[in-house]
Amino acid sequence: MGRLFLCGGETLTVVERREVALVDLLDRLLAGGVVITGDITLRIADVDLVRIDLNALISSVNENVPAPWGE
Amino acid sequence: MTGLRYVYAVCRPFGTPLQAQLTGVAGDPPRLLAHHGLVAVVSHVPERDFAEEPLRSRLEDLDWLTATARAHQGVIDALTVVTTPLPLRLATVFRDDSGVRTMLQAREADFRRTLDRLEGRVEWGVKLYADAPPADTGAPAAKAATGRDYLRQRRAGVRAHEEQWQRAEEFANRLHETLSAVAEDSRLHPPQNATLSGAAGRNVLNAAYLVPRSRSEEFVELVDRTKDETTDFRVELTGPWAAYSFAGEKP
Amino acid sequence: MTRARNRLDLEPDTVERDLVKLVLTVVELLRQLMERQALRRFDDGGLTEEQEERIGLTLMLLDERMTELRERYGLRPEDLNLDLGPLGPLLPRD
Repeated sequence: MGRLFLCGGETLTVVERREVALVDLLDRLLAGGVVITGDITLRIADVDLVRIDLNALISSVNENVPAPWGE
Repeated sequence: MTGLRYVYAVCRPFGTPLQAQLTGVAGDPPRLLAHHGLVAVVSHVPERDFAEEPLRSRLEDLDWLTATARAHQGVIDALTVVTTPLPLRLATVFRDDSGVRTMLQAREADFRRTLDRLEGRVEWGVKLYADAPPADTGAPAAKAATGRDYLRQRRAGVRAHEEQWQRAEEFANRLHETLSAVAEDSRLHPPQNATLSGAAGRNVLNAAYLVPRSRSEEFVELVDRTKDETTDFRVELTGPWAAYSFAGEKP
Repeated sequence: MTRARNRLDLEPDTVERDLVKLVLTVVELLRQLMERQALRRFDDGGLTEEQEERIGLTLMLLDERMTELRERYGLRPEDLNLDLGPLGPLLPRD
C-alpha cells in the first residue's frame, strides 16, 4: 500500500505500497470524481470509449460512465 | 501564458506547499487558482493536445491515457497529503482562467457542501477475489464411462461451483458489513474485468470506503486481519485515495 | 501495466484463429445452455434412462470435440468469450 502519512498531528503510519494498478487508477479517474459540464473542451462521456484499447476500458464502460450509444 | 487549463481538483486554501518536483499533466507543474475561498488546482496544457478534437483521439490512445492518468494521480496524491481535495474527472479542460473561475462561481455552493462532507476523509478500495474451484467446468478428471455418468459428474461440478460462489458471497457480505462499521460511507462498484486487471480468480467484491483519516490505521489493520482469516479468498487493499467514489451526490 | 498498441493483425493465421475463436465461442454458449437444460431435466427426473444416456453422451462428445478444437488453435477456455461492453461478458467468467 502507499506511504500513508496522516497529517495534522495524528499518528504517522507507513503502509507498504505496490505500484497502483492501472485498472484501479482508470476506474477512479474515468468513472469517479466530479463531472463538470459547461465550458469545457470535452466530456469523457462524449469519447467513444469502445475504440480505446478494447481490454483497457471495458471495465469503465458500465452504468457509471454512460456510453455514447446510451445517451 | 497561453494554453488551456487542465483542472485536477477543487479544494479549500491550504498553507503547506505542494511537494516539489511535481511534474503534472503535459509536464506543467500544477498551479493554484483561487476564487472566493475555493482553489482550483490547474495545469496549463497545449491546445494541440487538449482541444476537443485532439483530446478525443488522445483519450483513445492507451499509452497517452496511462501517462496522463499517472501524472494526474501524482498531483491528486500530493494534494491528499496536505488537504482534502475534491477530485474532478480526468481531462476536465477549460479555455482559460476566466472559464475556470466561472465554473467555480457556478458550482460554489455544491463544492462547499461536498468539501465539508469529505473534509478529513480518504477513500480505501477493497477487492475480494475467489479463486476458481479446483474441479470447474473444464474436462472432468476421470472420464465418464457412460452418458449418465457424465451428467452426474457435471451436476456435481455445477453444485460445487455454486457452493463455492455462495461461500464467496457470504464472505464478501460479512467483510463489507465489518468494514462499513468502521467507514462512514461505502460504494459497491461493479466487479473488475479480469482480462484488464490480469488478476487471478473472480472479483467478488469491489468496494470503496470513506474513512476519516484518524481511523485509517484501524481500517487498514482490520483489512489485514481479514486477509489472515482466509485462504480461500484474496483480499486486496488500495489507497489512500482522494474521495473519488464519494465526490458526486449520494445515489 | 503498460501495453503496446495493438494494431489489427491481418496475417492469415490470425484471421483463421479469430474466426475459429468466434465460432467456438458461439458453440460454447450453446453447449452451456444445453447442459443447463439437460441438468435441470436430469434433476427433475423428467427423462427416461435412455434419454439421459443419449443426452449425456452427446454433451460429453461435444465437450471433447470442443477441447480438441480449442487445443488445436491454442485457445484456453477463458479465450472463448465475448465482451459485450456494458452488458458484461457473453459467458460466465468461471
